[in-house]
Amino acid sequence: MSNYYEEISQNVITGQLDRVKQLTQQAIDAGNDPVEIINQGLILGMSVVGARFKSGQMFVPEVLMSARSMTAGMDMVKPLILSEDIPSAGKVVIGTVKGDLHDIGKNLVSMMLESAGYTTINVGVDAGPEKFLQAVKEHKPNIIAMSALLTTTMLSMKDTIELLKEEGLRDKVLVIIGGAPISQDFADEIGADGFAPDAGSATDLCKKLLA
Amino acid sequence: MSRSQYVRANYQVNATPQLKMLSDDQCENVLNGALEVLERTGAEIHSEKALEIFRKGGCWVDGNMVRFPSHLVEWAIRSAPSRIVISNQKGERTMFLEGQNVYYGPGPTNTYTIDPFTGERRRAKKSDTVRAAKVIDALPNISFAMDCGTVMDVTPTLSDVHAFQAMLENTNKPIIHWGFGIDQYQDIIDMAAAVAGGLEALQRDPFILLYSESSPPLRHSGEAIDKAIFAAKNNIPIVYTPCTFSGGVAPATMAATLVIAVADSLVGLVAGQLVRKGSGFVMGGLISTMDMSSTILSYGAAELSLLSAGLTAVARYMKIPMFSTGGCSDSKVIDTQMGIEAAFSILIAGLSGANLIHDCGYMEYGATSSLDLMTMDDEIIGMVKKILGGVLVDDEHLALDIIDKVGPGGHYLADDHTMAHFREFWAPTLINRLRFDGWKAEGSKTMAQRVKEKTQDIINNHKPEQKPESVLKEIQAIVDRAEAREANKR
Amino acid sequence: MPVKSNYVENTSPMFSILSPSQCEEILLAAQEVLERTGVTVHDEEARDILKKAGCWVDGILVRIPSAVVDRALRSVPKRVTLCNNRTGSRDVHLEGYNAYFGTGSDTPFTIDPYTGKRQRSTKKSVSNACKVIDALPNLDFVMSLGIVQDVPLLISDRHQFEAQVLNTSKPIVTTAHDIYGFADIIEMCEIMAGGVEELRRNPFMTLYAEPISPLQHAWEAASKLILAARKGLPVVYTPCVMAGGTVPATMAGVLTQGLAESLSGLVINQSTREGSPFIMGGVFTIMDMSSTIFSYGSPEFNLLMSSLADLAHYLKLPMFGTAGCSDSNLVDEQAGIEAALSIAMTALSGPNLNHDVGYIEYGSTSSLEFLAINNDVIGMARRLVRGIKVNDETLALDIIHKIGPGGHFLSEDHTMKNFKTETYYPSLIDRQRYESWLESGSKTLFERANEKVKDIIENYEPDPLPKDVQQKIRAIVERSEQKVVKS
Repeated sequence: MSNYYEEISQNVITGQLDRVKQLTQQAIDAGNDPVEIINQGLILGMSVVGARFKSGQMFVPEVLMSARSMTAGMDMVKPLILSEDIPSAGKVVIGTVKGDLHDIGKNLVSMMLESAGYTTINVGVDAGPEKFLQAVKEHKPNIIAMSALLTTTMLSMKDTIELLKEEGLRDKVLVIIGGAPISQDFADEIGADGFAPDAGSATDLCKKLLA
Repeated sequence: MSRSQYVRANYQVNATPQLKMLSDDQCENVLNGALEVLERTGAEIHSEKALEIFRKGGCWVDGNMVRFPSHLVEWAIRSAPSRIVISNQKGERTMFLEGQNVYYGPGPTNTYTIDPFTGERRRAKKSDTVRAAKVIDALPNISFAMDCGTVMDVTPTLSDVHAFQAMLENTNKPIIHWGFGIDQYQDIIDMAAAVAGGLEALQRDPFILLYSESSPPLRHSGEAIDKAIFAAKNNIPIVYTPCTFSGGVAPATMAATLVIAVADSLVGLVAGQLVRKGSGFVMGGLISTMDMSSTILSYGAAELSLLSAGLTAVARYMKIPMFSTGGCSDSKVIDTQMGIEAAFSILIAGLSGANLIHDCGYMEYGATSSLDLMTMDDEIIGMVKKILGGVLVDDEHLALDIIDKVGPGGHYLADDHTMAHFREFWAPTLINRLRFDGWKAEGSKTMAQRVKEKTQDIINNHKPEQKPESVLKEIQAIVDRAEAREANKR
Repeated sequence: MPVKSNYVENTSPMFSILSPSQCEEILLAAQEVLERTGVTVHDEEARDILKKAGCWVDGILVRIPSAVVDRALRSVPKRVTLCNNRTGSRDVHLEGYNAYFGTGSDTPFTIDPYTGKRQRSTKKSVSNACKVIDALPNLDFVMSLGIVQDVPLLISDRHQFEAQVLNTSKPIVTTAHDIYGFADIIEMCEIMAGGVEELRRNPFMTLYAEPISPLQHAWEAASKLILAARKGLPVVYTPCVMAGGTVPATMAGVLTQGLAESLSGLVINQSTREGSPFIMGGVFTIMDMSSTIFSYGSPEFNLLMSSLADLAHYLKLPMFGTAGCSDSNLVDEQAGIEAALSIAMTALSGPNLNHDVGYIEYGSTSSLEFLAINNDVIGMARRLVRGIKVNDETLALDIIHKIGPGGHFLSEDHTMKNFKTETYYPSLIDRQRYESWLESGSKTLFERANEKVKDIIENYEPDPLPKDVQQKIRAIVERSEQKVVKS
């Protein structure tokens, strides 16, 4: 009997949403282990997508189409599993900093992270230190990720880190930053744990930091 | 011989070779699309002041969502001037933003700059803007100044004010400049008024254009829209420039990308015209595509030129001066790619007839500025201007008598006609046409090496015309005032 | 939404340098040059043909009455089609504003992609060049990209042609030393096509000849025009003129005399056999007045090229243009600038068969890297002239409304459906982020192009020519060699 994993994974790669849903249902009906469907089918396919994107063989809209297919499959399998058994690579609170309404880059990072199996909590744009703090308290993420496009607004990243320190939460969470004016020097200067120049490497950075 | 004993033409048509990327019908379709988006979908406005102006002006305001009835937007298009004349800092009217006149210049706020002496890629300092302004001042085909990088070694919230000072002190060309907020804009206008000899003189013969960027799709931050309002109140022209890229903040189709860009520009236009009818407005756009592999906003793609020329066609259809893009590159190093992308975009922007063409000297998809690239662009602009000059057809230039005199098998080298006209050829300064052996004997230099030498020479030796001591003091006093204000804020 | 228009008109963004009345003025001026000044024709047969056609022949000087030029312009076909040399598929349509790109033939030097050294071109270098052209998707036709110099020079044209057909199936524009060379090459082509008539109906090659400026047709050139007409095969006739040297220094004068030279070639060709396919050429540029080179990159070169394209469209003649070349002695920023300007101008103006892609050093040297780079530039230019499609689907007002202010379009089906067709993705132009570019070795465009070229030379296999055809072609090359040895 086929366990459908190979086919699910292939269809995640090609972004065939309806086919992934159909196959996932068949896999469930056939009595396969839901966690295995996720690990051996859905996530496995997505990891191939990640690698292909990195090597320039796939483009963003295609990656997102694959991610959408994977998520659709996940949504079908998740109710069958105890929530603590649902594989998650980690939890990330993400937002664009105070004073900044530019969020295309942040959204892209968020989608890339989700497609790599992370749970993301998107706090949106114009997010001041308090908003990040509140999200940390509420969601207890592994990582917070801050984005800025402007050289003026990037200064707010430091304020967030300072506030986390004051609240005694700095040790509980990793801080990563990104955006056009951000560099590794700046990350070091304000005491962030990491910097990523683009969405693909943000995912790699999270993997590295949580390893 | 003259082929005719009478003048055959009773009038002479002066036409520049022009590229029209969209037909009038297509322009109308795009504009109607933008009007429909503004009336149906509307825009998000993050400024109480602007919301109030829009409400009073007849827009449909709901929270910070504003929908714009088409008749109002059309009124604003009619109300805006079709021509804006910009002077240099000595009050001489030098840039006529009208028709299909084109003027090229650099761009603002790069994160990094390449040190022209060490080649290092680093954050910009005030001294870099000083260098940039000198180079801008010296290059004949660069018509206006912008800061070429955000200055990072001054009070962070006054980076704009310091950069403006550096430009005022080192060039007399017109300046397009940004500001963090209204306070800084006031500083900038005050400094400019000091140079022009009063605010009224500045308003009549402006040498500055203010610059504001909105955040597409259809979202306008408080700073962005407030600047448009501020400029109109002070009667200083503004460049309102959404930064629109297909596939990211606009659909992947070019037509829809134009719709978003036009709609977002019109939001700024309506705000300005509601504040002051007839206030000077230049429609912007950095408009290109998002590279779906690296996710950069591409400064070298064919689509940058395609969309910019398309947007220019719509601006010309609306008779609003246009701020376009050219002379920039995605390359990280001065190489063949940089030459290709800079030349391609300078040519197409020039042929499209956009009035202001900015971002000369932008490399690495706009993240880094390079004075070397700007120097190289100056040469390319020279070539493109020669092309824009077209071909003169009259008896003297047809030269039938000379052709007959020389006849089959002769040559024209020593002819008076050649002597009289060969200087019409464009004269290169950085483009090299030495024969192989001569070029080898001179050290087998690449164009990049020649460019570097020229840039360094300008920085070391060019002496911009200085302003009177009293004016410089006044400027310094305004900078000091701004410093004190910002110190109080902290 | 309602259908708003009852028809869709397809036009490309086009521009012109010359207005129709300027075109007319230049045509009339060129006809006046032919009628008043005339041309010298160094071939007796051609003079006889011209005399019969109504020209005024006086020794070697031939004056051409305007009525004869008008007649030739009426009889010449407006369009020529060139085919794939293996399959006969009709790929290249020389008509209207279609702009096709290919290489040139007469560079004595080439840059070796392995050593970076400038050396004389050989049969091997031509073979490699043809392989590279065959592999690059934006190149549509082939010229040898080098003169073969390591074989007996008198018959090197036959070797050159053999090297081309063995390594590419794209249409070929071929030079030859004289009509005897052409006769051998045509024989090879007839074998490949499967007969004389088959070649004429689906030509995969066009002959190439040049007058000598000012206003002279040498025996080689005139006899080639006659041979092409008799064979019913297309011929490119292309004056190479330099302003201030062989033509007046003024642009209008360049166009007038250059056009007069082309039109007199046309008259020889059409007077031999009316309706023969003829492609008007013209490499019009300036003589650089300090180095005296024939400039392949000046703005005047571009201006003249586009003007001539306007004239060709006005006359409804297929046109042979020039683009993707440079005066620079190496592939540097200047080469990029000059190639980008000429390719963009060419794509916009629409001359049909555009050669010399890959030339550096004012046409003395070829570079395969430059060729591969220009493959991307051509892609960019083609994207530009595809223009902007404006209709309900592309305006996407519903999608814009659905996303609304502040959203993004990355994960929309509409984006997925359109991003690849609406956007051109180059192959060598780099758009990585700075950090990724550093990681991948901080390579320049030239370095990436060099890798690609070497990869093609080492790994690409062109469609093979059938063994028996190869042998027959070889036999013709050997036959010509024996003739040379005997004489």
